[in-house]
Amino acid sequence: MPHASSMADSHLLKKDHLKGFLRKLAKEYRLVAPVRNRHGDVLFTVIDDLDAVEIELSEPPQNSLKQFFLPQQEQLSTYTITPEGYDFQPTKATIPPTVYFGVHPCDLSAVLYMDVVFSRQQRDPFYLRRRQGSVLIGINCNNPSPKCFCNATGSGPFIEMGSDLQLTDLGDRFLVETGRTSGHTLTERWQGFFSPSTDKDRAARYQAFLEARGRFSRQVHVEQAIRRLEADTVPDEVFAKLSLRCQDCGGCAYLCPTCTCFTISDQPLDAVNGQRLRSWDACTFAGFTVMAGGHNPVQAKTGAIRQRFTHKLRDDVRLTGRPSCVGCGRCVGICFGGTDIVRFVERTCQGSL
Amino acid sequence: MPQTITDIYLPRQAKVEQIEVENSQISTFVLAFCDHAYNDAFRYQPGQFMMVSMPHCGEAPISISSTPTRPGAIHLSVRRAGKLTAAMHGLRVGDTIGLRGPYGRPFPMEQLQKKDLLFVAGGIGLAPLRGVLDTCLDQRDQFGTLTVLYGSRTPSDIAFQTDLDMWREKGVDCRLTVDAAEPGWDAQVGLVTSLMDGLHPKLERSTALICGPPLMFRAVLGRLTAMGFRDEQVLTTMERHMKCGVGICRHCHMDGKLACVDGPVFSLAELRKLKIMEMED
Repeated sequence: MPHASSMADSHLLKKDHLKGFLRKLAKEYRLVAPVRNRHGDVLFTVIDDLDAVEIELSEPPQNSLKQFFLPQQEQLSTYTITPEGYDFQPTKATIPPTVYFGVHPCDLSAVLYMDVVFSRQQRDPFYLRRRQGSVLIGINCNNPSPKCFCNATGSGPFIEMGSDLQLTDLGDRFLVETGRTSGHTLTERWQGFFSPSTDKDRAARYQAFLEARGRFSRQVHVEQAIRRLEADTVPDEVFAKLSLRCQDCGGCAYLCPTCTCFTISDQPLDAVNGQRLRSWDACTFAGFTVMAGGHNPVQAKTGAIRQRFTHKLRDDVRLTGRPSCVGCGRCVGICFGGTDIVRFVERTCQGSL
Repeated sequence: MPQTITDIYLPRQAKVEQIEVENSQISTFVLAFCDHAYNDAFRYQPGQFMMVSMPHCGEAPISISSTPTRPGAIHLSVRRAGKLTAAMHGLRVGDTIGLRGPYGRPFPMEQLQKKDLLFVAGGIGLAPLRGVLDTCLDQRDQFGTLTVLYGSRTPSDIAFQTDLDMWREKGVDCRLTVDAAEPGWDAQVGLVTSLMDGLHPKLERSTALICGPPLMFRAVLGRLTAMGFRDEQVLTTMERHMKCGVGICRHCHMDGKLACVDGPVFSLAELRKLKIMEMED
């Protein structure tokens, strides 16, 4: 129930006080927040100087937090080839403790999903080291953008869990809900910035939620697509037609906050030294499943497209109880072939609604 | 407080102790970890695989072809298939490679106890079954009859000849066939399924273990089903492209399952539920 918040405690933060609060945080943490750059694009950015940037909370950032926890490319180890043998040296990825500020519910949900991916089967040291030092400050979405459909994936426009502090814009002030112990620590540590909230503030939050919920311009029947995938009643033709339009660019996977498939490759630095790299990959790429010798057990394109949507909307529902599409709409914006997940859901549900 | 997390991606150095040339394309590498304490404590189960690193070649999954009943060394039988395996074929005794593992769901050895086991393999497919067979031979009283049906392209392609001779000596019923005979070959010619004609397994106490190329696999499944084997009585191990080996990177996806953690060993009953190439008509 959105109005009966599970967040234990709430405060008020006047908008005039936001920068002061962030300035305090920036002294102890690296700060990442959505910033509008000189090209007009809003991107999650590492902020060195708070006074030199404009934090933009009203528009969803083009990137998600994925790149901060799973960089597009990172070193896993280095290796040397000497007369004594071929040996590996570990790489210790170290990043300073970081506050991620202004994270929308879709992107928060994505981080929670990545936590499962990188700790369920085996604990991934590179992801978890970055994640362990992180503080997530979320902001609920009062104005979902026209491409958004988080209401259909159960990951917005407001969120009840996942962040350390969760903000709701109430005009001249933010309602600040503290989720975890670490959130309490922050509000207590810098209590001068916060004032007590009243029932009226919490009522205003609920009002904002109702209004936000009414602002979605797109109806995406994700639940229906999930049911059809589970029942195996999606015609092969849907995958075949979509795959014809996929240009194999990987844009959807790169922008997707929950696409975490990666590849590992060696990069020689000279004849006797090299580094092992992990890089983003995409299950739609033609070579993703090709084995040594060239045999591909997955039917090129059709099988790859099937995998993309089946993984997000069936396999992850089986695993976590919810789809790993968080309805951010980024793939819809980037796909020039019309092979995005919304198109898949629409084609899947055609004639069945 | 940040916790120390084991670096699951870091290979350990292992030394090539011995190389057995099986045929022109397949060699068996006998390996031991350079860290003696680690090598002594290293345990695995038949059907599991290792991620092998070769200089500048990245990693590839290779199934373990030895039996855990003979600790101290790991055998990897490798067919020359791509860049990494070609580099392995250039290895000499004393060279070092990188290894991490063991990974994957092994053969259910406890379920196989007291069973008559029918091993059906083609080419390099005998490698993962070799570990099971040697386990059975080392614990001979715990298993029923052992039969090996092995298909190769030509008589000179027959790999694991030393093993086949030894298995025969120990009473394993080994039957060979080749796709194309060469002068001097007076045994079976034809698909491995042709070796199944003369078999009369006691169905109620039999389990079949299959590994080989997709075409052979499908033909064998057809025959086993026709002979009356239930899907639960047929086990196989699947080959897929892998990067992490631990269920994260997803390169080995199989319609909702991952070969690296849900497999590589599957029963036919499990595979029938999946939309995968091997199960297509």
